[in-house]
Amino acid sequence: MIYLDNGATTFQKPPQVMEAVAYAMTHYASPGRGGYPAAMEAGGAVFAVREQIGELFDAAVEQVVFTTSATHGLNIAIKSLVKPGDRVVVSGFEHNAVVRPLYALDADIQVAGQKLFDQTDTLNAFDRAITADTNAVICTHVSNVFGYVLPVERIANLCRQRRVPFIIDASQSAGILSLSLQETGADFVAMPGHKGLYGPQGTGILLCNRPAKPLLEGGTGSNSRDFAMPEFLPDGLEAGTQNVAGIWGLGAGIGFVAGLGVDKIREQEGILHKKMVAELYNHPNIRLFTGANQIGVLSFQVEGMDCQRVAEVLGEAGIAVRSGLHCAPMAHQSGGTLEAGTVRASVGIFNTMEEIGAFVKVLQKIPQGNRQKLPITT
Amino acid sequence: MLFCYITFRSITGAQLGAKLLNRAGLNHLMMRSPQSMAKNGCGYALRVKGRDLYPAVELLRQGNAPYQKLFGDYGSGGMEEVAL
Repeated sequence: MIYLDNGATTFQKPPQVMEAVAYAMTHYASPGRGGYPAAMEAGGAVFAVREQIGELFDAAVEQVVFTTSATHGLNIAIKSLVKPGDRVVVSGFEHNAVVRPLYALDADIQVAGQKLFDQTDTLNAFDRAITADTNAVICTHVSNVFGYVLPVERIANLCRQRRVPFIIDASQSAGILSLSLQETGADFVAMPGHKGLYGPQGTGILLCNRPAKPLLEGGTGSNSRDFAMPEFLPDGLEAGTQNVAGIWGLGAGIGFVAGLGVDKIREQEGILHKKMVAELYNHPNIRLFTGANQIGVLSFQVEGMDCQRVAEVLGEAGIAVRSGLHCAPMAHQSGGTLEAGTVRASVGIFNTMEEIGAFVKVLQKIPQGNRQKLPITT
Repeated sequence: MLFCYITFRSITGAQLGAKLLNRAGLNHLMMRSPQSMAKNGCGYALRVKGRDLYPAVELLRQGNAPYQKLFGDYGSGGMEEVAL
């Protein structure tokens, strides 16, 4: 299989991630609970991964909270900051992990910036939208549909100047773009462990620059006599037994990323992305969504073909891509693709130029071979 | 005093403290807090030799690793809270 769905999860993991998971499952008991070696060593493993994350994202270890996913972290962040009816400014490229919690809270959602690949337009839109009655700002670092890199550092500046809490969704950028919790001053940064950090699924990280409300209450191994959850971090947001095997695997993934270097990964993925764009750019039947400020992800449509059918054709050739709305209808609304959706190819560090060549070759054949007998997109 | 126990509110706090002591080469043992010290329930402590108490506490203060309390073990079976 040629795997080009790294925007969903990096299915191909470094071998040390699997080894770490297996090691943890055979050596680590429950961290932060018992005092015997297997429990203390589990606690040491979890702490070591917190430190790795702190180094990568410029955060203190107490600011690093383990979650099950970016969605979990975003829910904690949003439900800590937003009350029903609050006015929340978001980019036009948010995932449902942001939009649905806001909708459930009956927040007044203000969309700022729907123009693809234009950071100046995005920044100006946020500048206009963030007003005295804005209660929170949320912005994805990179669109999971279009790969558009949004200017989160400059949006963070606006938020600091206006004293408005800011949440960054780093789902597509973690491990590919540098991001500093301290420099941005963001209140929360949420990310998955299983995408650009190459950890196992079921792992996520929430970086916290302020106290937060837990989504779950329960045992933390601290302040046990108190019926209330501890208010201090990370314990206050980590009720229940932790996913030690996942966290230790995530540590191995982060070690892999740190070893290669985020800049090197971005450069390598950029080369693959550029090849996809260059090979498909002038194809008469393919509409590419590409521009400046883009990484990793390439959305496209094939004229006259349903995007799901395109994905099937690629799948029949052993190439894994994703089609549809990618859980981000807001982004498709902004991109003008809400009705038809797109096919998304997203590269990872294990992809090769040969694989991109094979992907392009299949696409180049589609219009001649299959177009006539396929359903027409409405 | 034979040993001193430095208690922390969480395992992460104790781990931060342990890291600071490690860096300074100060011997210690991280452990579950004895129940008599953990008035709020579960917690973690660093055990250091009595003579190392002052330098350990100084390292923790300098490193912004907030501890909760200090307890001395004088070898009589009980623990006594220590004030510095």
